[in-house]
Amino acid sequence: MLLVRWKPILHCPPGEHPRRGLAWPLGPRRSLLLRRPIRSPAPAFLTISSSKFSQAGRARVRPIVRAGLAQTPSLADVENTEILFSETLPLMRSQTVEGKITVRLDPTGTEEEVSKWRLTIGCNLEGKWTLHWGVSYCDDLGSEWDQPPPEMRPPESVLIKDYAIETPLKRLSSQSERQVLHELQIEFDSNTPIAAIHFVLKEQETGAWFQHKGRDFRISFTHYFEEGNSVGGNQGFSIWPGAFDQISSLLLKAEESTSKKEDPDDEDGNAVKQKRRIAPIYKEFPILKEEFVPNHMTVSVRRSDKTDKNIVQFDTDLPGDVVIHWGICKDDGRKWVIPSTPHPPATKIFRHKALQTLLQPKADGLGSWGLFLADKGTSGVVFVLKLNEYTWLNNNGTDFFIPIGSVSSTTTEIGSDDIVHEQQAGTEINDVRNSLAPNNSYPLQNKSLETSDPKNINSLPMKNQGTEEAKESVAYTDEIIKEIRHLVTDISSEKGKRAKSKEAQENILQEIEKLAAEAYSIFRISIPGFVELASDSELMKPAVKLSSGTGSGYEILCQGFNWESHKSGRWYSELRDKAKELSSLGFTVVWLPPPTESVSPEGYMPKDLYNLNSRYGSLEELKDLVNSFHEVGIKVLGDAVLNHRCAHFQNKNGIWNVFGGRLNWDDRAVVADDPHFQGRGNKSSGDNFHAAPNIDHSQDFVRKDLKEWLCWLRKEVGYDGWRLDFVRGFWGGYVKDYMEATEPYFAVGEYWDSLSYTYGDMDHNQDAHRQRIVDWINATNGTAGAFDVTTKGILHSALEKCEYWRLSDQNGKPPGVVGWWASRAVTFIENHDTGSTQGHWRFPSGKEMQGYAYILTHPGTPAVFYDHIFSHYQQEISRLISVRNESKIHCRSTVKITKAERDVYAAEIDGKLAVKIGPGYYEPPNGPTKWVVAAEGKDYKVWETS
Amino acid sequence: MEAGLMAKQAVVAKLDAFPARSLGFGSSVRGGSGTSRIGFEAPASIAWRKRSIRVARNGAIRSEVVVEQKASPPRKDKAGPGRLYVGLPLDVVSDGNVVNHGKAIAAGLRALALLGVDGVELPISWGVVMESGDWSSYLAVASMARDAGLDLRVSLHLHSHRRPRLPLPKSVDSAAVADPDLLFTDRAGHRRADCLSFAVDDLPVLNGRTPMEAYEEFFRSFRLAFADFFGSVVTDITIGLGPNGELRYPSFPPTGSNRFTGVGEFQCYDKYMLADLKQHAEETGHPFWGLSGPHDAPGYNQSPDSGNFFKDHGGSWETPYGKFFLSWYSSKLLSHGDRLLSVASEVFGDLPVALSGKVPFLHCWHNTRSRPSQATAGFYNADGRDGYEAVAEIFAKHSCTMIIPGMDLTDGEQPQGVRSCPQKLLSQITGACKRRGVKLAGENSSLVRVGTAGFTTIKENVLAENSRLDSFTYHRMGAEFFSPDHWPLFTEFIRSMAQPEMDSDDIPSNAERLSLSINSVPGNDRELQSA
Repeated sequence: MLLVRWKPILHCPPGEHPRRGLAWPLGPRRSLLLRRPIRSPAPAFLTISSSKFSQAGRARVRPIVRAGLAQTPSLADVENTEILFSETLPLMRSQTVEGKITVRLDPTGTEEEVSKWRLTIGCNLEGKWTLHWGVSYCDDLGSEWDQPPPEMRPPESVLIKDYAIETPLKRLSSQSERQVLHELQIEFDSNTPIAAIHFVLKEQETGAWFQHKGRDFRISFTHYFEEGNSVGGNQGFSIWPGAFDQISSLLLKAEESTSKKEDPDDEDGNAVKQKRRIAPIYKEFPILKEEFVPNHMTVSVRRSDKTDKNIVQFDTDLPGDVVIHWGICKDDGRKWVIPSTPHPPATKIFRHKALQTLLQPKADGLGSWGLFLADKGTSGVVFVLKLNEYTWLNNNGTDFFIPIGSVSSTTTEIGSDDIVHEQQAGTEINDVRNSLAPNNSYPLQNKSLETSDPKNINSLPMKNQGTEEAKESVAYTDEIIKEIRHLVTDISSEKGKRAKSKEAQENILQEIEKLAAEAYSIFRISIPGFVELASDSELMKPAVKLSSGTGSGYEILCQGFNWESHKSGRWYSELRDKAKELSSLGFTVVWLPPPTESVSPEGYMPKDLYNLNSRYGSLEELKDLVNSFHEVGIKVLGDAVLNHRCAHFQNKNGIWNVFGGRLNWDDRAVVADDPHFQGRGNKSSGDNFHAAPNIDHSQDFVRKDLKEWLCWLRKEVGYDGWRLDFVRGFWGGYVKDYMEATEPYFAVGEYWDSLSYTYGDMDHNQDAHRQRIVDWINATNGTAGAFDVTTKGILHSALEKCEYWRLSDQNGKPPGVVGWWASRAVTFIENHDTGSTQGHWRFPSGKEMQGYAYILTHPGTPAVFYDHIFSHYQQEISRLISVRNESKIHCRSTVKITKAERDVYAAEIDGKLAVKIGPGYYEPPNGPTKWVVAAEGKDYKVWETS
Repeated sequence: MEAGLMAKQAVVAKLDAFPARSLGFGSSVRGGSGTSRIGFEAPASIAWRKRSIRVARNGAIRSEVVVEQKASPPRKDKAGPGRLYVGLPLDVVSDGNVVNHGKAIAAGLRALALLGVDGVELPISWGVVMESGDWSSYLAVASMARDAGLDLRVSLHLHSHRRPRLPLPKSVDSAAVADPDLLFTDRAGHRRADCLSFAVDDLPVLNGRTPMEAYEEFFRSFRLAFADFFGSVVTDITIGLGPNGELRYPSFPPTGSNRFTGVGEFQCYDKYMLADLKQHAEETGHPFWGLSGPHDAPGYNQSPDSGNFFKDHGGSWETPYGKFFLSWYSSKLLSHGDRLLSVASEVFGDLPVALSGKVPFLHCWHNTRSRPSQATAGFYNADGRDGYEAVAEIFAKHSCTMIIPGMDLTDGEQPQGVRSCPQKLLSQITGACKRRGVKLAGENSSLVRVGTAGFTTIKENVLAENSRLDSFTYHRMGAEFFSPDHWPLFTEFIRSMAQPEMDSDDIPSNAERLSLSINSVPGNDRELQSA
């Protein structure tokens, strides 16, 4: 986008009204940024209209189209060479035209009819101008517009809703002395109780709105009191900014030029007689209008007989200095390579990536030209044009590509890409802001304005054919399901004919999986005994069914750190000393803290993923630790933070979104919908974590790099599986991808969102909450389990308020994830976030053992928090673990809830264990099975069959 | 294309004039074998029409899609198989005539629609709906399908189900209580509650009306209730021709097992069948042959060799008596099918829908000479005879599509010792249909057994050059269908069906099967955006 800065012009017609020095409310003299609305209906530009390139370069030589080319002086050099390729690229350049809006208020009546006035509004720029206007009445103190009284409305006016009218300006046949091209006259009577006239101008062809300092123009007729304070009083007119809420479109700003005039002398004495007094006005406001100027660039490729190189000729009629920012491509890639020397004259090397060559002005002064040499073996030349520091021309968001030689793929890159979509989205956000905050007279800068790496350039507003698709993907609603479905069919069936933006496809896939999961859970629940049946059949299968979502099914997890563990700087070695003890307590899996270099000492703000020296210890110490755990038969989970990553560098705007280290991603790896980080990726497939740039997992290169990294971690460190941080932030389908690539022994994701409460009281039914978690697990295809946040939340309420009835859902099943998909539920009562020194959501104090009595006897994979293991609870926890192991309770065990009342909850698990928690009384029925107490503590008791 | 044009006219006229039956060309469309095409042209054009109409409704935002769709050829022309359907749960409307787990059905329908499935099959139970004549639950399900943008194949089931419980109409039940011989009966005298004996088809046993009249009433009631759906949502009507909705005798054991691999038993022991047999025997001059069924046939779960009747060599089936009995037994089945399809043709003939009927896929013991399990079910397909020719002829006569279940079965994975040969049987049936110009549709045998291999087989069968299925219906939606063990396989199947001829370089790696190949083929991107 063209960025133009300009200063206000003080325009004071000399000597016109010399008498009165009037207090004229001068607006603050600010420089304004002029911005052209991207949504204007300007035609698509910078588009190569069609790919005219010959299919087999040499075979079908295309003559140079433009006659002008023959006149270029240097053609003699290459005149005998064969033209391999020639193409004229139409370019659209925006150009700013300065003009002015004039406002004049004159009396039209005679001496007796002093109340007749005429307001004349003119404009001296070309275009189809319309005045969008309204009035406010004296008795109305609100800021809303009203329609003017009928007698005031000029012919051809159109009513806009009930608050404004639009009247076209008439083109004047003969130019007046002020060179006003378009004019509109509004006649009115000053006796009508009108307090002010408000207006903005609209240019129909571009759809651009012209405002006054971000607000509507306002011509005010204030009251004048008869008492005669007229002499010293303010005169009854001024132009104030008024409210302009109604128009939510983009607005061009015009800086007031404050010409001003004074009342004619003779009016002075009559002031007292008039109730209201209006003085003639003449004012001018400069405006800037952006127009599009068609230019073109002809590129032809010839074979040089003298050298073994190809000659690329650029010829353009763009005025002024034109710099070609270019590089060549080898093979089929699109990677920019600097061609070998010699380079053309006036060439600079730009950041070791590209050349910048200033074209030479043509002899006739109309445009410029240049000849470049391209090596043999070059597949093409890529370039963008630089007109000045802020203005670049590109090919609808991508580079221009000129194929060279007999390259087989001779199509230019036409069309847009995700970048353009993003631009579109960004613009709309800005629009909304403008309309919501009319006081903001500074238009928001489009972020791409200041990007100066031309490969990122995307700076020209454009309406392109991809827009519809972009909107489609945004405007995803139930209503369009049929169409989307059609598109899906097309994606699959008519390969290559149609496709959809990747984002939209993934939206669809996610939607499909969500719906399937929903259907699954309902069907499953509504079929009595289905869960049991499934468990039975799973039981009959070979004893151990390994899955990354469940491990062996008999896992007991230990969270091997807390929020303070980084403090010593040697956590790895400290924990290593405890490996044996953890093993003897019965743990089978340990979860270690995030290992990477991190901005925060706890590790959850990773930076260089391949740097494994952290506040917990060095890479070597980590490997030792993992080995020690392996020696005692404990599997090790790495804490993988995949949702976000802290950047190493700032981009041009000072935003931290450029990465370093081995994975030196740029802002394409960052999701586009967090304005803090100005990512250029797709929109996030999940929620955003706002403290760091969220990684866009929909990018192939990101996923490839992450898979590689995870595999490297498995190999290098020896991790057996993963604890996945903040998986709410991206689609579970990607997790599936990562799990399949890394084949972990066990994996669990942290999908933590809040439960549903009504008036501060937690709802009994938390199905929606667990549904979201189950949906996520489903999206991972069951390759990962998830922490059962639902169960923790329900335990909180049940224990804290003595509402043990909460522990049974409507179907008599456990109310957490464990009741719906036990094998993928990792139950826990505390972790480093909820407890430890953070205490974001601490388990009811003193009732931890009831919580453990619940999760260590129930299906699912229980996880025990480090702080609890090494506390006075250790004995009890250890006992519960051994009871669980002795009874061979596993993640798919069945639960029969035998009591769920106010003060007691009891259940039988697999018919082998009975458990009760709560202060109330419960004893398992002594029928054919004899129960003996296996573990006991405050408000809990566990029995096993004898 | 003439047929296509007529079908379109039919649609238009139908929309305007329904339910007035003023369409002169209705019968001519359905006569003759060549016009069986109509059944498949019609849905295609309907689908096309329907879509543009719907889009127009949302025209303000999405008018460009209208253009696209008009430009795209009717869906029938797409490469690969015909339409893909998924069966709704048998008890989608429960025996209490209420929609069962409607929320799950709604979510499931939307998932299927997004996935690109063409439609769903809605099983309608005679017993559920004719109890009260209340169609509202079934209509509600049909509306859900319509709202999801799915087509509908309706199956009209005239039989009962044990699980889920879907009974016969109470009036039929009480008639059967009064006269148990209305039901099929096996040699031991067990009454088979599945459906009424074919022998009473035209006897006024239901309060003075014949079963055929009752069936017709059911059909007409359906037609009236679904008037708004024909031509726009309902594309096919499948007539339940017997037990399990298949054209067969209930020769399987009364306790019913899907895993049944025995030969089954003849079901000719109710007094009406026996009377018919007697009369037939007397007419052919062998009155003694008409006293009972074969005395030496094996029991339900036995092997062919356990009695003398089906022995591969020297079995009674090869004797004149055997031939007499088997011809009679199978002819009763054929004439039942013929009668029922005539009734259905008459009721539905002028509608822009395709008629279809299902034949059982009796692959066990197909590798014997006597083919006992087919014989007991009513298909006289023993050595030297092609029992399926006659069946195909009846289907051809009524322009009825033949639905063959068992598209997922391969020879290799069948249990040893039952001499099963699904592939050979399939090619026999498809051959017969091809010769008679009968259209084919496929189903899978059961969801439980379909694994990755099953889907591969289905794909092979559906795409096979010589069978050319017009549609394939996958059974059935339910918990298992959406389970993580099954659903991913199914989605993959649907995607691969829609894109059967992918170049190898377009096939995404296994890990990314679901994330499509767009990014790896930048060229496609471009075409999309200029489209």
